[in-house]
Amino acid sequence: MSTEGPATDLAPADAAAGQLLTARGLRAAYGPTVAVDDVALTVGTGEVLGIAGESGCGKSTLAAVLSLTARPPLTVLGGDLTVDGQHLDLAGRPPRTWRGGVVSLLPQGAMNALSATARVGDMAVDVVRAHRGRVPRSVALDLLADRLDALDLPRRVIGAYPHQLSGGMRQRVVTVLSTLLDPRLLIADEPTSALDVSTQRALVELLRELVGRGLVGGIVFVTHDLPVLRAVADRIAVMYAGRIVETGPTAALVDDPRHPYTAALLSSVLVPEPQVRRRRIGGIRGAPPDLADPPAGCRFRPRCSLATDACTDDPPAVGDPDRYATCWWTRDHPDERLEPSL
Amino acid sequence: MTRLTPRFHVAAGIVAAVLLFGLLGPLVFRGHALGAVVGGLYDHPSGSAWLGTDNIGHDVFTNLMYGTRTSLTIGLVAGLFATLIGVVVGTLAGYRGGAVEEALMGVTNVILAIPSIVVLILISIALGTRSTLAMAVVLGVTSWPWTARAVRAQAASVRTREHLDVARLSGAGTFSLICYDVVPYMLSYLCMAFVLQVSSAVLNEAALSMLGLGPSGGVSLGIMLHWALAWESVRTGAWWAFVPPTVLLTLLAFALLMLQSSLDEVFNPRLRRFVRRRRTTVAAPPPAVRKAEAA
Amino acid sequence: MALTADLTAGTAEAEAPARSGLLRYLGRKAAWYLGALLVAVLLNFLLPRLIPGNPVDAIVAGLGRGGVEGSQLHAIHAHYVHEFGLDKPLWQQFLVHLGHLVHGDLGTSFAQSPASVSGLIAQALPWSIALQLPAILIGWLVGNGLGAVAAYRGGWFDRGAFLGSLFTSSMPYYCLAILLLYLLAVAVPVLPPTGGYSFGNSPELSADFVLDALTHYWLPFLSLVLVFVGGQAVGMRSMAVYELGSDYVNYGRGLGLRDRTIVRYIFRNAMLPQVTGLALSIGTLVGGALITEIVFSYPGVGTLLFTAISQNDYPVVAGLTLLIAVAVLVANFCVEIAYGIIDPRIRAASRGER
Ligand SMILES: Nc1ncnc2c1ncn2[C@@H]1O[C@H](COP(=O)(O)OP(=O)(O)O)[C@@H](O)[C@H]1O
Ligand code: SF4
Ligand SMILES: [Mg+2]
Repeated sequence: MSTEGPATDLAPADAAAGQLLTARGLRAAYGPTVAVDDVALTVGTGEVLGIAGESGCGKSTLAAVLSLTARPPLTVLGGDLTVDGQHLDLAGRPPRTWRGGVVSLLPQGAMNALSATARVGDMAVDVVRAHRGRVPRSVALDLLADRLDALDLPRRVIGAYPHQLSGGMRQRVVTVLSTLLDPRLLIADEPTSALDVSTQRALVELLRELVGRGLVGGIVFVTHDLPVLRAVADRIAVMYAGRIVETGPTAALVDDPRHPYTAALLSSVLVPEPQVRRRRIGGIRGAPPDLADPPAGCRFRPRCSLATDACTDDPPAVGDPDRYATCWWTRDHPDERLEPSL
Repeated sequence: MTRLTPRFHVAAGIVAAVLLFGLLGPLVFRGHALGAVVGGLYDHPSGSAWLGTDNIGHDVFTNLMYGTRTSLTIGLVAGLFATLIGVVVGTLAGYRGGAVEEALMGVTNVILAIPSIVVLILISIALGTRSTLAMAVVLGVTSWPWTARAVRAQAASVRTREHLDVARLSGAGTFSLICYDVVPYMLSYLCMAFVLQVSSAVLNEAALSMLGLGPSGGVSLGIMLHWALAWESVRTGAWWAFVPPTVLLTLLAFALLMLQSSLDEVFNPRLRRFVRRRRTTVAAPPPAVRKAEAA
Repeated sequence: MALTADLTAGTAEAEAPARSGLLRYLGRKAAWYLGALLVAVLLNFLLPRLIPGNPVDAIVAGLGRGGVEGSQLHAIHAHYVHEFGLDKPLWQQFLVHLGHLVHGDLGTSFAQSPASVSGLIAQALPWSIALQLPAILIGWLVGNGLGAVAAYRGGWFDRGAFLGSLFTSSMPYYCLAILLLYLLAVAVPVLPPTGGYSFGNSPELSADFVLDALTHYWLPFLSLVLVFVGGQAVGMRSMAVYELGSDYVNYGRGLGLRDRTIVRYIFRNAMLPQVTGLALSIGTLVGGALITEIVFSYPGVGTLLFTAISQNDYPVVAGLTLLIAVAVLVANFCVEIAYGIIDPRIRAASRGER
């Protein structure tokens, strides 16, 4: 996959030029709990950006903000998106046709994502009509059938109710519905989490194919499952306590994490990999902070064994927009690798 | 302990007040004996007859105390009967499974399908004279299937839990297993079922009485309404004859329903927010069906 | 459906197993309801015959007190015993009874002697249906609308509507009827207090009579409709609140579906139990508001039953209870069938383990 258009300049306006998605200043809260706090992201065309992090760090909230599906109790406090040159200020009410047309959602748990009383075909017709006006039923169904053919999925699902499909098939059908209108950006929130390993692989291949054929411009793939992310993502952004703490190309980030949290996260999952075992750190002690009242300065400080007094101030972003970590230690030790002795 | 909601306290308070009124009232307010003629046709409320007199000159307040007592007795006894039968049938079916379950649930479903008002009317007529106790038994015997069906589901799920295997291995008989290992797990649930059974028995008693099939020779809230209607108290404006029993019945029905739903909240905190009606653990008929029965 | 040819083939393939499952489901249900019907008929047959003595003794004793002569009494007694087949063994009586039922013959009234039971019922039934059908339908529509809006709007509107509905629906419907009667016909006499039409008027198809019947209609109608609205609103609200929070609503929004499309999905899912409720209430058309009619002396089935009970008119009572039971059974049966056809989830379940 092409990891193209790496903007070399720090200025966001210029960065937007070569990017599929540029998101800035995203803030969203459940009442006092600010679950996404000043997050900025970029996704290149044809790129899969993985969002990793422990449960409760705000990944799903970020997915809801990006897919424009935030609803009470979640409120979007601010931010703006530029997708494929189109600009959207999140302070206002997002236009309906952006959803599904420009950005689209691939939710977790496809069982409940489809109404139990609607056939897959009915859903497709509704989706097409929602964006293209009163097109004939047959046109919408043909579109769905062609898409199923192209992706080697059986046509019989068109007449099926959700409960008649297996879990893996249901998730793939939902994926097809989500991308039926060739959205520029697909936001996938834990799409593989309820699946077994072989269906996970099938779904990942399907997503790869969608990007490869240009049917979707790019994907934001949210999961707590790092092995899956390594298989699917071109770049990874690691989220902690509502913020992005590190981002970089998948290989670089996994080989040489620059943030203590990333290192801890990797070590707790990638134990079997021999080259990672070298830097083994052990599970992450403690729990993520209460987002209604996060610690001042670096939010990882209470759990970080490298913390110093400096860490009570907000840490700086070290690196360039494509490869940075927000950490005082990283700034002070630019050439030192993160060691397992954390 | 689980926390009780204000709703529970209000509901329990009302129910307790009505209970006290029916059980202790006749012992405290002994101005008039039940059945004593203290005035004429629909005398207005006065110092001696606080709620006036009924169509044959009986003191309405005295009637109300004893009527509440009768209605409550019928409700409680019927509720007890229904819950007991329901538990026995339901646990047997749920616990034993197989042919026993098929047979018992077959009977249960058939009885459920026939509107209970029909059975109530027919049995009441066949009985000729009806004592309070007989009414209670009839009401209980016709309303157990709801409890049985729900208990069966519970028992079947309890059956699969591990502690039963342990008990079975240690040689416990079916009966003791059911008594000591199955039923206790359903107590919270039975509590709610019982409350609903009491409420529906009280209302069904009133309905039967108003059809002219109430307990013979006694006074109940339904009988009071029956006479008040038959002797035109509503149309002649003698509100004291029909308002008190109406208000008591309404209060009791509302409070019991609230009690049940707040118990549900306490026992099943998961359900606190959104209750999916067809799948709740509620033991009683869904509202639409209940209305039909309480005809 | 405008499917292209090969699409239709695909659809049929998915449907095939569903259809045979549906047939089995229907067959099983039909057997159950036939069984229940038989039990209902049996109860109806047996219980009145358990009356101490038997109904004929009772009615003849009543005539005796009325001063009819001994020999005449004997003849009447013999006549009734023969008509009811009381001289035959019980199982034969039951077969005769079944035979009569099949021909729609419910017997002769004791109290209004030459009148046939079916004739009496035929006179009363239209009144009951005219009273209840509109009350049920309007109550259902208004209640569901109210519940859906309450769930959608939330806030004070929701709270007020919900509490009010909870109260009217949990209040015994006859208590509401009595209080309304007192308030609107006696305390503030804006509506006539009694009957289906004015005294001295008689049922006919004239403007006068219809107007008169309508003014008498309002009170009983109101008392029923309030209860229905309350019950339906409470049910619809909890269903809609549940559905609003569900994943498919969120996904639908994520795909940019129009609000009304999503509301259609919600309705379709939330409606299933509500439609059941409607069909079940229609089953109670006959026996659902017996006491309301008694309260308002409305000339329907309830009043007929009340009179029959007070006059020991067993054939009429038995005829009415049978009718009530049959109506409910038929309605329930239709609901189960409709459910099996509409709701794919149920079809799946019926094809599953059980
Ligand atoms: N419906 C909600 N109401 C209140 N707080 C919520 C809600 N959903 C999530 N949160 C809070 O927001 C934070 C982020 O949640 P989420 O985005 O679901 O995390 P993730 O998807 O990474 O597990 C959590 O700390 C959680 O407590
Ligand atoms: S900023 Fe300080 S506390 Fe935060 S991760 Fe870096 S070293 Fe640890
Ligand atoms: Mg999540």
